[in-house]
Amino acid sequence: MQLTKQWLWLASATLFAQGTTPDILLKPPKDSWPAYHGDYSGRRHSALTQVTPQNVGGLTLSWAFQTGANAQIKASPLMVDGVIYFSTPDNVYAVDARSGHQIWHYTYPQNKGFHIGSRGVSMYGEWLYFMTPDAYLICLNAKDGAVRWKVAVADSGRGYWTTMSPLIVRNHVLVGVSGDFDNLTGFLKSVDPETGATQWRWDSTPPSGTPNSTTGGMTWMTGTYDPESDTVFWGTGNPTPVLNGEVRPGNNPDTCSIVALDPNTGKKKWAFQASPHDTHDWDAVEIPVVVDANFHGQPRKMLMQASRNGYFFVLDRLSGANLLTTAFGPVNWSKGLDPKGQPVPNPAKDPAPDGRLIAPDEGGLTNYRSPSFDPKTGLFIVSAHPSYGIYFTKPADGTFGWAGADYGVWGKGVLEAIDYQTGKIKWSHELGPNGAGAGVLTTDSGLIFTGDAQGSVLALRTSDGATLWHAGQGQSMQSSPITYELDGRQYLVTSGGGVMFAWALPEKN
Amino acid sequence: MRIFRHVRSGAIALFMTASLGFTQAPKPPATPVKAGPTFPAELVKAGEGLFVQQCAFCHGRDTGGGESGPDLTRSKLVAEDVGGNQIGPVVRNGRGTMPRFTVTDQELLELTAFIRTAKSIAESQTGGRKGVDAKDLATGNIDQGKQYFNGAGKCNSCHSPTGDLAGVATRNVGLRLFQRLMYPRGAKAKMTVTLPSGETVSGTSAYHDEFTVALRDSSGRYRSWPAARVKVQADDPAQAHVDLLAKYTDDDIHNLMTYLMTLK
Repeated sequence: MQLTKQWLWLASATLFAQGTTPDILLKPPKDSWPAYHGDYSGRRHSALTQVTPQNVGGLTLSWAFQTGANAQIKASPLMVDGVIYFSTPDNVYAVDARSGHQIWHYTYPQNKGFHIGSRGVSMYGEWLYFMTPDAYLICLNAKDGAVRWKVAVADSGRGYWTTMSPLIVRNHVLVGVSGDFDNLTGFLKSVDPETGATQWRWDSTPPSGTPNSTTGGMTWMTGTYDPESDTVFWGTGNPTPVLNGEVRPGNNPDTCSIVALDPNTGKKKWAFQASPHDTHDWDAVEIPVVVDANFHGQPRKMLMQASRNGYFFVLDRLSGANLLTTAFGPVNWSKGLDPKGQPVPNPAKDPAPDGRLIAPDEGGLTNYRSPSFDPKTGLFIVSAHPSYGIYFTKPADGTFGWAGADYGVWGKGVLEAIDYQTGKIKWSHELGPNGAGAGVLTTDSGLIFTGDAQGSVLALRTSDGATLWHAGQGQSMQSSPITYELDGRQYLVTSGGGVMFAWALPEKN
Repeated sequence: MRIFRHVRSGAIALFMTASLGFTQAPKPPATPVKAGPTFPAELVKAGEGLFVQQCAFCHGRDTGGGESGPDLTRSKLVAEDVGGNQIGPVVRNGRGTMPRFTVTDQELLELTAFIRTAKSIAESQTGGRKGVDAKDLATGNIDQGKQYFNGAGKCNSCHSPTGDLAGVATRNVGLRLFQRLMYPRGAKAKMTVTLPSGETVSGTSAYHDEFTVALRDSSGRYRSWPAARVKVQADDPAQAHVDLLAKYTDDDIHNLMTYLMTLK
């Protein structure tokens, strides 16, 4: 029955004249960037080769789109059928990918959710899916931004909010939630793209109030998907209360973890815990990147994550077994690794009334913006943030929500090229004070695109990290770059503050 | 969104609004407060709405600190604010990693009313206040701190307890002293730039990235050059602090802190 339904749906999906189809999401054409990561793997790597290390110096501005708003663009845009779709909190924009002029702009009514960021919309057929600060999922018509339906994903009155770009797998719209200012259960929901009805829900932690148990494990970043094993990989956030771990003894399973789920049922296949019993707010939601390659001479189906807690993990994605765990910068909170390759937290580095000096800081050695995997060089490129923070908790801070305080001491931005087979840093490229935070895109021609701490967009040579091109954007990039080809011209799309920029080689006369 | 509106009301309008708020028949504040100015309940409520949307993620819903943002209830700047005159420039220009926000004068008054009210509430807590108190930080050993200062830490190669650090614990209290001990944010680096002609220009580092270098010379003038065309020699006094971060034990920083707290 399940198979028949699935087949019928696939057959009907092919009737779409425009928009995305399952085929497009499985094998995105070069004239599209149809989902958050560009494809299901999360590698943020493009096969486009028009822009090369030799000609990238001539890259020039094609257009800039100004939202004219306060909100920084944190979304990874989509590009489908010549139209770019992206979001900021309460806003969705449709922009002509050729000219940068606005086609439509949807504004969600004012609300009291956290307006911390919106990481993008997702597309199914000709429908867009947008998550709001007050935890609703909105289905919009991609043609004009008209609202088709709106469903509550979680109760914002209890402290949930949403920011993510849903992951679409066949007829499942996978939506995650945020909310670690309260002791709330994290969950991932699968929603019917036509009606908004819930298909299944997977809870990362037990209900609030369960004795001696954790809450948290939010699901606020878009996961990845392996079509071959039909498995979704999702990173989960920190346990709550955040800085006080005493009231939630044990490892707090499925928090700060990568979980493998069946997209049809939400049933968990395996979990790997990046930070057992986290007390430093190190969500393990960074992109779990799907890679097929040799590992120590054997062909492997892998999953790689450069995690906020400072460790780089290589896993067998079929079993969840660990192949490699290495720190990719200063890390001082762990006593070593357990037999599963998971770091063992050092209790002496738990937050304390007089403060503990911790590397990395709360922002982590990296955060949610995408890394990129370059298959030719085997380099995993990540925007890293070597840093130290000071962590406090005391009885007066309580056992609810944040339950302590932490402060960044010092940090900087460094782009790191990690050899996935050894975890060694092949090269690093300084990005400036405090931290850069931009995502990373690589292309088959041997180029990396990312941003530095002071607001420049950079093109680097993948093999050695040398700078080949740059342009000042006025504010540092808080999103991950994308690329596509349109009318035979390769575009790079980046953002700085509330402005989106499209870069290309000069048009041929 | 209200916070995105850009209304250019002038300073006069700001003071009129502020004055109305304080002099008209006062309504009871949103929550009882112990000390500090009181604000009309509707102003506080409006400020809370804005704060939750735009500020609470970093500064906490009660302004007591959240992800990455400081505890505003203990902020010197907030304590010294009058009608948004201190808070406004930070909100509108950003600071460090904090982005800038466009707020109308009315919105600034609302935000200020909420932040100041939250501060009063926090200060009226009895039986243990959340957040970092100065007394929480005095857990080290003064003698061992002094020993580290003059020994393993080599702090005495740049600092002197009777020189630049005389009175440091009066100028910097509690968490601020602790943070500056570990990293003196904003410490100016001296810089000398050698131009292609051989001419050298010295001053205080004003900007430095991969592509551009700039300093302020002795006259206060800002001068910049393409980084690739000049030689740069920078003497950043804060680098020694960065180098120590990987070497410190937690005891080291607490001993140092407790020692520095004696330099009043």
